Amino acid sequence: MKKILIVEDDISISSELKDLLDNAGYNGVVLKDFENSYEEIKKENPDLILLDINIPKLNGEMLLQKIRKESNVPIIMVTSKNTETDEVLSMSYGADDYITKPYNPTILLLRINAIFKRMENKSDILAYNELEIDPKKGIIKNEKEEIILTKNEMIIFTFLLANKGNIVTRDELMTDLWNNDSYINDNALNVNISRLRTKLKDFGYEDAIETRKGQGYILK
Amino acid sequence: MKLSKYLRSNYLIILLFIVIISIINLMLVSFKVQNQAIMGVTVTAILGFIIYVVYDFGRRKKFYNKFLNDLDLLDKKYLITEMIDKPEFYDGEILYDALYEIDKSMSEKIKEYSLSIQDFKEYIEMWIHEVKLPLASINLMIHNHKELSDKKIVEQLKRIDDDVEQVLYYVRSENAEKDYLIKETELNKVIGNVAMKNKDILLENKIDFIVDVDDRKVLTDSKWLEFIVNQIVSNSIKYIRNGVEHFIKITAEENNQNTILKIYDNGIGIEKSDITKVFDKTFTGNNGRKIETSTGMGLYIAKQLCKKLGHKIAIDSKENEFTEVSILFNKDDFLNIAK
Repeated sequence: MKKILIVEDDISISSELKDLLDNAGYNGVVLKDFENSYEEIKKENPDLILLDINIPKLNGEMLLQKIRKESNVPIIMVTSKNTETDEVLSMSYGADDYITKPYNPTILLLRINAIFKRMENKSDILAYNELEIDPKKGIIKNEKEEIILTKNEMIIFTFLLANKGNIVTRDELMTDLWNNDSYINDNALNVNISRLRTKLKDFGYEDAIETRKGQGYILK
Repeated sequence: MKLSKYLRSNYLIILLFIVIISIINLMLVSFKVQNQAIMGVTVTAILGFIIYVVYDFGRRKKFYNKFLNDLDLLDKKYLITEMIDKPEFYDGEILYDALYEIDKSMSEKIKEYSLSIQDFKEYIEMWIHEVKLPLASINLMIHNHKELSDKKIVEQLKRIDDDVEQVLYYVRSENAEKDYLIKETELNKVIGNVAMKNKDILLENKIDFIVDVDDRKVLTDSKWLEFIVNQIVSNSIKYIRNGVEHFIKITAEENNQNTILKIYDNGIGIEKSDITKVFDKTFTGNNGRKIETSTGMGLYIAKQLCKKLGHKIAIDSKENEFTEVSILFNKDDFLNIAK
């Protein structure tokens, strides 16, 4: 399980963040001792750090610089300081991303996921049973045939696939779509899902995407 | 400084001189002094008087002309004493010293006020960062505890966040200090953030959000532009028209000098008589009065921010048809050359 360290002095936010990360299948750890924040971070040895700028003692930007001298651990600045200067500074000090409060929790998870994906540098090819999915080319194939998915269908399918066996809400799907500049409406989402179902049916996966009334969808 | 006016203001001394010269002449005549001697005395006296008047007028003119001229050129008039030299005549000296005192006290007052404005601005910025913490916290709570989850709460939270941002940018727009950073910014990224902020309310109200700006980039501060576009989009959402399929369409075009971002909606539009005033401070107009939450500040702040960033903002509308706001960005050739 990936360990994510939360460096945030607002107790309410840090504990909610921990819940959010734990629920999403990560191991959220909250930094408690700001006196020796740098040493504590080193000791925890996390896979990713969520770092606020306004923290006691050493501020986030300085902490970021200090960590970067020794480590390439991915760092997302999560802060209420919403200025271009702070963002440019943070990025130049080596932050991997910069998100401002209040943020959409789904977006935060998407960004974390994107960083891990980029880091692992895994081949882009995903698998669903015996099907091969290539999100970059937008195709699904098995040994016999190959079907093209549209951009939106692919976003929906990969999101469902990443959460295989779990319920995905319409809101989460919408957030991922909008996050990829596809500003579609509810009808279009229905159309995309039914087209995706038809395409999966061609591979013999009828009812692969189940509708859970009032909750969302689940990929079996 | 005019000679005629100078003479007029000194008429008493001139009159006195004429009277005295006349009396002296009368006395000399009655003492039977030779005419040539009388002539000599008179001419010498008059000549002496004229020389004095010309000299006095000259030094005053020199001082006051420079004074008025410098005053005219000065942007901050109260700094005039820094520009002029101390005059060499007594009343001028008094004036100069008094002005110096006045300026000093004025400068002190200005400094005092600008410090207190600065303090206030810093406090507001700090307060806004503080108030964002509970907002972020509530957002997370709603996400984590689905049983609390309600779209209505999220929408109200978004309203608070928008209002808080408005205060922040009002303070920034009124502040003389340059606290923005201009760099090359992708329009898609800015619009994406605005879209995400308004996603729920757009979907809820069935407003189609259509974006076609290709991969155009502009020179701006992305946070400021995000605020500006968010204000415009929020207005479009506020003023939708019943009975039509709502949409907001964002496009961009460019020519040699400029990139133009256009935000078009098919909402209720703006009355002709109101359209020139929508960028005025606290102007709400007929549309605003229909909606309780209109403060009339959004577009005013947007315009102020555009002014600071060097963008132009314009609005076009037809009642019951459309509203279109355009933002015009300069393409900086220098930057392109520098690359």
